[in-house]
Amino acid sequence: MAFDIDRYTATSVAVDWSDLDLEAFRREPLPGSSLRTLRYMADVEYHTVCYTRDLLTTPSHRESDVSAFMTMWNREEFWHGEALAAVLAVHGVSIDYDELKASRLKLGWKDRLDPIKQSVLGGLVGQDFVAVHMSWGAANEWSAITAYQRMAELEEHPVLAELLRRIAKQEARHVAFYTSQARERLAASTKAQKVTRFALSRFWAPVGSSIMAPEEVRHVMGHLMSGEEGRRAARKVDDSISGMPGLAGLTIVQDALDRLGVAS
Amino acid sequence: MDDLSGAGSTPTIGVEPAPFDVRDFARTAHGSHREGLDLEAIPDAALTREAVRTILTLAELEGATMAHLRNVLVTATHKDARVTAFLVSWAYEKYWVADALRAVAGAAAPVGATRANDASRPAVAAAPVRARGRGPIRRALAGFAQGSDVIGAHLALGCVDDLVLDLAYARLAGDVPTADGTPDPALGDAIRRIRAIKARHSAFFHEEATRRLETSPRAARLARRELSRAAWPLGAASVSDEDRRSFARFALGGDPGSASALERGIRSLAGIDERTAARVTGRLAG
Repeated sequence: MAFDIDRYTATSVAVDWSDLDLEAFRREPLPGSSLRTLRYMADVEYHTVCYTRDLLTTPSHRESDVSAFMTMWNREEFWHGEALAAVLAVHGVSIDYDELKASRLKLGWKDRLDPIKQSVLGGLVGQDFVAVHMSWGAANEWSAITAYQRMAELEEHPVLAELLRRIAKQEARHVAFYTSQARERLAASTKAQKVTRFALSRFWAPVGSSIMAPEEVRHVMGHLMSGEEGRRAARKVDDSISGMPGLAGLTIVQDALDRLGVAS
Repeated sequence: MDDLSGAGSTPTIGVEPAPFDVRDFARTAHGSHREGLDLEAIPDAALTREAVRTILTLAELEGATMAHLRNVLVTATHKDARVTAFLVSWAYEKYWVADALRAVAGAAAPVGATRANDASRPAVAAAPVRARGRGPIRRALAGFAQGSDVIGAHLALGCVDDLVLDLAYARLAGDVPTADGTPDPALGDAIRRIRAIKARHSAFFHEEATRRLETSPRAARLARRELSRAAWPLGAASVSDEDRRSFARFALGGDPGSASALERGIRSLAGIDERTAARVTGRLAG
């Protein structure tokens, strides 16, 4: 079913946690390893604008549906960062803009070159490159939902579970947008399928890999995706990705977990 | 609370005003204006064709945030989390300003004119997107050398663009463009709402640009260069040349002193000289 962008923009809101009793975390604080994972998640949400920058360097920014979506998506993700930061703040972990700036400054040359590489590839491949971005976005949003669901299951903290449920609900609408765009573009072009398949299988890595230290990526993936349940969740994401036109057989999430040495 | 001690009171000389609160701005960002706009009260044919065309062009310009973000986020500007946090909500508010403008244009279009579609977004894909200024690759490469000083230049661009667009809003808020020469309260209210939204954007851009240009001569030099090179208004690449020229005529054609007022506004930014201000008005009028 086509994604209704007007309905999405009209109903896009900042995630609300004002009714949740965050003081519950003082009585039942989250363990240190979970705070580390939450911190990663907050950083990634705040960094969404960095991914937007990559997306914007290709022809996709010229399309009004994509522009409208990205405007709302960016803002929703920013508020996910704020919501997670509020939970961290109760635990004495504060995230301010200067600190985020400091971590972005550490990204170095790769970060500087990324938009150029994206632009060059976008220019070479042309309109079909949008399919890569949309499929990539779908894979990221599916894995984000899975990560939030896994976090809620593992912690069994009612307030955290409710907050993560609200965040994941918004991510589900992002998935709907990305998949509707990706499916349409993949179905229309064999070249788009080939380029997307190549890009995902060769370059996809868990969300946050390009901006966080490798040990943080390993911690989060190990925390959320290890063991039988974690693998089952990863397989589910892979099944969704490989269900898109021309992407059958891809197992990018499981492959990434193997590369990181996450126990199955 | 004592009103005199609250926010908005005149700052005492020598006391620094509180810096722009980005988190508060994000928290209070305004979404759709549809419920607040009294479109029914705007009579058909309330505006001249020229004014309707200007409003539709303004809608395109206000909505062209993603193209602008592309240009600034490929540089060090994306590293500044405070600036990017602002830009996220800025783009959101401008999206809904553009939506409100299209609704107003649709309600006030002259009889017989093509009425703007008041329900949907513009077909940006169909708009003639031309290469104005430098593309993202050249900007990203230039950004390597410019470092964080380019952030001040980008904030100055945002500030001046608001000044340029406000010339048109100021004229629309007056009684000049109405078809029968009398002010229309519903239209006036719509324009006031939009200017109130934009006043916060301008406050951030001006404050942040001033701070950076004052403390870094290199940032000021980059700002002079960016301002002199830019296509005005900033979203010009998303409208046709004819619409851009028509917009400029309208914006500069009201008060005979509007060009010099614009130049004064531009010069109020630290380190921005008369020559740079004149180049902006020259490029806008050209």
